Amino acid sequence: MTFTTSVRRAMWGVLGAAAVATVPFASPQAADPIRIGVIYDFTGPFAAGGSQAAAIGTQIAIDLINEKGGVEGHKIEAITADAQSKAEVAINEATRLLDQEKVDLIMGVYSSAHCVPMAQKVDSQKKFMWANVCVASAVFKGKNLQYVFRGQVHSDQFGWASCTFLNENAEAKLGIKPSDLKVAIIHEDGPYGSGVASGNEENCKKYGMNVVLKEGYAATAPDLSSLVTKLRRARPDVILHTGYNPDITLFLRQAKEQGLKWLALIGHGAGYGQIDKLVATFGKDADFIYNVDPVAAQLLDPKTLAPGLGDLTAEMVKRYKAQTGAEQVPPHTSMGFNQAWIFFTDVLPRAIKTYGGYDPEALRKAALDTDIPVGGTIQGYGVKFNPPGHEMAGQNERSSPVVMQYVDGVTKIVWPSAIRTMDPVLPLPAGHAYAR
Amino acid sequence: MEFSLLDPFLWETVIQGLLFGGVLALLSLGLNIIFGVIDVVWICYAELIMLGMYTIYFLYTDFGVPLPLAFLAGILVVAVLGALLHHLVIRPILHTEPINQLLVTGGVLFFLQGLATMMFSVEFRNLGVSFGSVSVAEMYFPVSRIIAFSVSIVAVVALWLFLKKTYLGTAIRAISQDRDVMPLMGVSPRKIYLVTSALGGGLAGLGACLLVLLYDIHPAIGLTFGPITFMVCVLGGLGNMIGGFIAAFIFAEFIALGGFYAEVEWGYVLAFVFFIVMMFIRPQGILGSKS
Repeated sequence: MTFTTSVRRAMWGVLGAAAVATVPFASPQAADPIRIGVIYDFTGPFAAGGSQAAAIGTQIAIDLINEKGGVEGHKIEAITADAQSKAEVAINEATRLLDQEKVDLIMGVYSSAHCVPMAQKVDSQKKFMWANVCVASAVFKGKNLQYVFRGQVHSDQFGWASCTFLNENAEAKLGIKPSDLKVAIIHEDGPYGSGVASGNEENCKKYGMNVVLKEGYAATAPDLSSLVTKLRRARPDVILHTGYNPDITLFLRQAKEQGLKWLALIGHGAGYGQIDKLVATFGKDADFIYNVDPVAAQLLDPKTLAPGLGDLTAEMVKRYKAQTGAEQVPPHTSMGFNQAWIFFTDVLPRAIKTYGGYDPEALRKAALDTDIPVGGTIQGYGVKFNPPGHEMAGQNERSSPVVMQYVDGVTKIVWPSAIRTMDPVLPLPAGHAYAR
Repeated sequence: MEFSLLDPFLWETVIQGLLFGGVLALLSLGLNIIFGVIDVVWICYAELIMLGMYTIYFLYTDFGVPLPLAFLAGILVVAVLGALLHHLVIRPILHTEPINQLLVTGGVLFFLQGLATMMFSVEFRNLGVSFGSVSVAEMYFPVSRIIAFSVSIVAVVALWLFLKKTYLGTAIRAISQDRDVMPLMGVSPRKIYLVTSALGGGLAGLGACLLVLLYDIHPAIGLTFGPITFMVCVLGGLGNMIGGFIAAFIFAEFIALGGFYAEVEWGYVLAFVFFIVMMFIRPQGILGSKS
């Protein structure tokens, strides 16, 4: 780590710690509240697939900020909307929040299927949108959006992470050269699943792997038996899967019943990020599943982050557990919290102080000035947004996912090796329900 | 992919399609009997199944009720819900325009989804019961689907016997053939409609017993099965139980074989294209009558 990086990291840490411990943003006179339209799925299948967990994370961030006096004296007023796991509802709610509720910006959004059209619509209205959870690269790729920003990882990176992990471990752990490794890619067919799958295909082929099957399906499909049969015929060593919650459990159940075996199963967020639900449904069969996701902040060693961020994470975890009674805090909570926190503690104060307010133009300029080094957020990655004209304008160029593995109901980081907390278990141990 | 009749994966796919067809056939039974007799489409049918699944789940996991008894309770609860649905919602609008009936049962759909969300939260729940699978010559068949298939066959035969061999069944058939004349012969439509609704609800409860073994339970599970069940019924001839039964297997084989030779999504596309073509050729359905 360079001296400059250390100093910048320390500065960001001080900012994070100060936000928890003191009242840095409050001014003596109460100003108008900043009204934020927060859109998540509180009902429908996405709700339990991580959207609700992310919404709680965002709300915790808002509560923490307000408890400390708000931002530059402005309290944050969240106007929450339920997208109901339906794209058309999400778009209508965004329109209602902007046109009728007159919110200052839109924040949140779990599903990429909602995010892609919503981002374009909000941008075309020259309103400001801060995406917290949705990951599809298609939200930004080639769109040159001006008023939409995302600190979150994007789907091309998901595809890259799992293939790179395999490339680094195939020969050492499986005794199979990457060029001999047989990989199957299956995915829900929305922008999220398709985006990750494209990243999988591109990167695994780049490493010379043999993609024996690539296939999408509707997340609401009531039967995946023909897909499982084809996977048995193709005999992949590794299955790369991207899906939501109901389809993942259907796939795992039908795979077991139809005798599908593999050396490794790598999931990519959403349903695979819900370890407690996977364990509740599959028990020991959920052991050794991999999940590619932005890391759940509580899994990181606070010493690798700027000072104060460990305390911030601990506060988030404490509040989440108190509110839900859950034992495990999913990555979605960190995503919902982290993105909101970056906005409230970095972008918004700068917009008000440097650009004179929090209208879309001020927020846009403030976002483009963001420059948080690696280690400066609770999820480890830094933040710097691609400028206008870039192929991914508005996307954080410093975001990065990790590869995790579930062992005995506990999440471990196995990649990148610099921050891993466990050596990956590869292939599946003999005796496992899905082991060859 | 090469076509070969000796391909065990092909035969596994065909038989899996049959087993899935059994699930769809059972789901279509209750909806068909309701429409055949009362001339009303329960758009909220899949949501009744969802409530049955929750009943079974909570009785089994929270109250420790043995699974067979939980199944029985699930069937009874949904049968009562079916009767209540008719008494409270359908009966007052029985003689209004069909569109009104559709809208009202559609409203019940959203009401039941919302009610389930508030009562049970959005969490995915699972019975945690697995019956394993049967393996024959490199082919695997889940026992739960074999059970579903068998139960649907038994249910169709039992329903046919009930309608053919019992006084009540005869009355139900008679009402479905001429609802204006039968009251003159001493048959009370109100009672028959109520019994039919309970019977349709009971069949939805039976569907819940099978689905709870195969799928996660959540308030939106109806979205997975509602539209496809309705299409199966229309394809078979709305109100025609045998037609619905046949259509379920045709639909399931399109999905299975289309998914096997092309992609899973193509299986559904082909099934829906077949449905649309059939609607042009036989708008009354495979076994439906033009009247």
